[in-house]
Amino acid sequence: MKKLHLRDIILIALIAIIFGFIYLASDGLYNALTALLTPIGYGMLANDIMMGIWCMAGPLTGFLVQIPGAAFLGEFLGSCVELLAGEQWGAVNLLSGAVQGLGSELGFTFTSYRKYNWFTLFLSATTTTIVTYMYDFIKNGYSYFSTFNMILYFVVRWLSMLLFTCVLVKLIVDLLEKAHVIQTNQN
Amino acid sequence: MNPGLKLFLILTISFEISLIPNLTTNLIIISICLIYLLFKSISLKKILLLLIIPLFAATVVFITIYYFTPNHNLYHATILFTRIYAYVFLGAVFTETTSILSLARSLEQNFKLPSKFAYGTLAAFNVIPKIHTEVNRIRLVGDMRHYHLSFYSPTLYFKAILAAISWSNSLAEGMISHGYQEDKPRSVIVPVALTKKDWLIFSSILLLLQPILLLTK
Repeated sequence: MKKLHLRDIILIALIAIIFGFIYLASDGLYNALTALLTPIGYGMLANDIMMGIWCMAGPLTGFLVQIPGAAFLGEFLGSCVELLAGEQWGAVNLLSGAVQGLGSELGFTFTSYRKYNWFTLFLSATTTTIVTYMYDFIKNGYSYFSTFNMILYFVVRWLSMLLFTCVLVKLIVDLLEKAHVIQTNQN
Repeated sequence: MNPGLKLFLILTISFEISLIPNLTTNLIIISICLIYLLFKSISLKKILLLLIIPLFAATVVFITIYYFTPNHNLYHATILFTRIYAYVFLGAVFTETTSILSLARSLEQNFKLPSKFAYGTLAAFNVIPKIHTEVNRIRLVGDMRHYHLSFYSPTLYFKAILAAISWSNSLAEGMISHGYQEDKPRSVIVPVALTKKDWLIFSSILLLLQPILLLTK
């Protein structure tokens, strides 16, 4: 089995950091959504709407590096860097990072790291939705919601994952494939 | 306390309070962390920031759970409100008292983390300012061509990833040319101790936590 080397680890960490910076651009939208939705009782739904954006690094590194563990590290190293940067949320983010990483990685595990196509991304988006939702169910009090809301939050999160970690990641991967970056990375 | 062990302690406590809803534990954790931070003479401004930063997130959770769930349970809402503060204070106890380098050294020496992970992540961490500039530069170039690149533009990610690939090559080559070899034993410049006292503090805190978590409300 192929192993991760120093260069892969640096690349994965760099991508995790870059995605972190780009996510910052979506903070304004997140805050606005939260503020808008809170009066009607759906403030926490902003989290689910944006969830797909925060989970993009995992499937992308999984696709780019194509070695077991790459997708997990793409998510997890991002949270490690936040910790290293001295963020107060850092320590807890490590847990969220590990959960999101596990979700992303499972999608690739289910295809035995052999297929890298739409279906892999769809699978990874779905496993990430299930794993992160289960974590929020316990951690963020989703278990106190009405059944309708439980389903609504799940569906919204899934749609967000499909849009960002499946469609947007595939568009980025297509650009990288056109530039022959993924192939050279393999050699 | 040993940095690596301290991190595991913080993570274990955070994980346990995520799983078990308990108001008393959350309040005890917040108070102890606050006293510890004051004892370590952290500035009052920083502590004030620790109280203000999570307020938005915590309030949104409180409002949603208290006003918009079928049970309108004040107790559950308060637990989730205080839980967010407990996370932030636990995190602050760690970040305010531990340096990055000592954590990397501790994880490598005491917890058998392969050095390529410790130093690979540190290498990436050290070019953060360059990454920030690069992402801004890509955006600016886009704006100059009247082509706004936002978090949903594949081009922005594509260009940034190309930069990352080239940097990862340069950084890895740089490290190797300075004599770094992955999977080879390394000499230790600054040894980090993991003493019996560290283990004693670690286990006593966890032992004290369990009855509080399980027996109180």
